[in-house]
Amino acid sequence: MARVVGGIGASHAPSMEHIYDAGEEVRESDEWQPLFGPFKDVASWLEGLRPDRLVVVYNDHMDQFFLNAYPTFALGVSDEYPVADEGFGSRPFPPVPGDAKFAWHVARSLVADEFDITICQELEVDHGVISPLPMVDFSEGEGGWKIPIVPLAVNVILHPLPSPLRCWKLGQALRRAILSYEEDLSVVVVGTGGLSHQLTGPRFGQVTPDWDQEFMRLLAEEPESLTKYTYKQLIELGGTESVEVVNWLAMRGALPLDAKPLVQAYYAHRIMGYGLQTFEVAA
Amino acid sequence: MELTQDYLDRLKAVQPHDLPGDLDLFDEHTAMRGRRLNKAAYSLKDEHQRELFHRDEEAWMAQFGLTEEEQELMRKRDWIGLWRNGMSIYVMVKLSGVTNTALPEIGKQMRESGGATNG
Repeated sequence: MARVVGGIGASHAPSMEHIYDAGEEVRESDEWQPLFGPFKDVASWLEGLRPDRLVVVYNDHMDQFFLNAYPTFALGVSDEYPVADEGFGSRPFPPVPGDAKFAWHVARSLVADEFDITICQELEVDHGVISPLPMVDFSEGEGGWKIPIVPLAVNVILHPLPSPLRCWKLGQALRRAILSYEEDLSVVVVGTGGLSHQLTGPRFGQVTPDWDQEFMRLLAEEPESLTKYTYKQLIELGGTESVEVVNWLAMRGALPLDAKPLVQAYYAHRIMGYGLQTFEVAA
Repeated sequence: MELTQDYLDRLKAVQPHDLPGDLDLFDEHTAMRGRRLNKAAYSLKDEHQRELFHRDEEAWMAQFGLTEEEQELMRKRDWIGLWRNGMSIYVMVKLSGVTNTALPEIGKQMRESGGATNG
């Protein structure tokens, strides 16, 4: 049977793509080392753990889904996920490999658990997936992705959004979906987005490091307390676009309550509060 | 009673309301106000639409049934006006790409905007 062997919470942002694509020298610069250094630690950790699959809870930014039909939860059930053109041409990455058979099982299990997801046989992934993913998985020398993914998209863009409690429960249902899969796969669950940022209005660029670090502490120590926050509170604490943190909450819901944080890093820079946190699950 | 307190609490919490005036939401009102503008900017995901934008911006705009006011906001690159008229930041980013506008420039306008007064 499949197992959940770890979790990763990571910010996603176009800035991370620009800097990654600018090459090693920029990544290692004084300005960006506080972000990319910890990502290297996560890559090493993942290299040691060697998971068979990543389930990535993320949000799309109107690159796959649009307002004509916006899904609250959507699951990819494909063997590959091309990189979306977000309006500037696609980044030169090959499609991210998937695992349709496992993903269909996850679809069945989620629906059995009353999470009536939109099932996507075709899905292009945007920076919600591929801004953090190359930092932890992509092998530049061999030019390839190493670990097949199952993408699970959450609507954090068009209100009303699924509540933080609902996203936590989604993570718990995701855990059951993984544990009930017949193949002996080890799975790491990833949640991407946040932390604090505000891209509209007079508070454009506002970052709130105290709240971001408190969020990461709560996620590690008492994650259920985060399910009691309303979106109004989350927006006031971290900004309109910071509500992406519910993707982290879903990730955490898929882990045992006593999972321990391992790599923890935070870097408030320019217009983003960048967070990175991994969880180890005892065998 | 069918409409339990628990249900009523959830219904109240699901839609943020009474946010401070300098914070905004993309919700029913924004989505309805911005239908045409969002459709237009979203189209720029497609490279043929970007080519058309560069070749003939008026012909590009004509595809989306924009009002005269909306067309003017587009022509003027009035980011605050576009935002107040319902354009999502996520499609605005695509429009910023095709018009070669850096995000910090949009940010500068946003900070000086005084809020979403149409909200």
